[in-house]
Amino acid sequence: MRVISEIEITPTSVVLNGKPIAVETTGEKMLVELYRRFAGDYPKFFKMDTLSRLGFIAAEILLKEPMANSPKPTAIILANRSASIKNDTDYMDTISDGKYYPSPALFVYTLPNIVTGEIAIRYQIQGETSFYILDKPEDLEQILLSTFNIQPSTSALAGWCECSYANTFYAKIQIIWNN
Amino acid sequence: MEQLIEQLKAQIIEALNFEDMTPADIDTDAPLFGEGLGLDSIDALELIMLMDREYGIKLADPKAGKAIFQSVRTMAEYIQANRTK
Repeated sequence: MRVISEIEITPTSVVLNGKPIAVETTGEKMLVELYRRFAGDYPKFFKMDTLSRLGFIAAEILLKEPMANSPKPTAIILANRSASIKNDTDYMDTISDGKYYPSPALFVYTLPNIVTGEIAIRYQIQGETSFYILDKPEDLEQILLSTFNIQPSTSALAGWCECSYANTFYAKIQIIWNN
Repeated sequence: MEQLIEQLKAQIIEALNFEDMTPADIDTDAPLFGEGLGLDSIDALELIMLMDREYGIKLADPKAGKAIFQSVRTMAEYIQANRTK
């Protein structure tokens, strides 16, 4: 496996292939800032939960990066430890004590693998898409090896995409070639 | 009625997370689905919840939704005639 390109996003920083991208905001506002700068033509972004926004923005920046100007990934394989817990609690708030107005828009994001679907739709990636709940990022490597052995995927957008609380997230996502 | 329309537009923007939009951007008579605002089925459910939460209206007949959600104006007219709060 060969890493072609890599992005790391924290609530206060964005690093693309080892080079920081300057940002003026932090946390979830930073994701919106990045959206306006790198995408801006996909209003559905505003309907996404934070986990999906994080993965979407990471993919958006990675796949527009000149180094990755080659065949697009055929697989999307992401993982985290907290599943969709942040959105799950947001949804729970809409059905708790004394108020019962469950939000359909929040409900549709109460699964972590929705983020892989959002990226697949945006980039028309029709191969393997999976999201794993793992203890630590290192555990993903064996899954990637297995995927490349079993599936005809030649490249993947893969990595860690985590959002546990409001404004608390971390993504380290790579474009990996199987050669 | 005009006040209700403006209030409804603001509530739609908030409920559907149209962060780049202001009430002035929404055409009162434009279709909510398809062309116009281009809402989808999940948005329709959010609008149903909005009517319940803000105006105490429970839509019992799903078929009625097509006429009610034609535009902001038809929504506002229905709300004015049926609101319980």
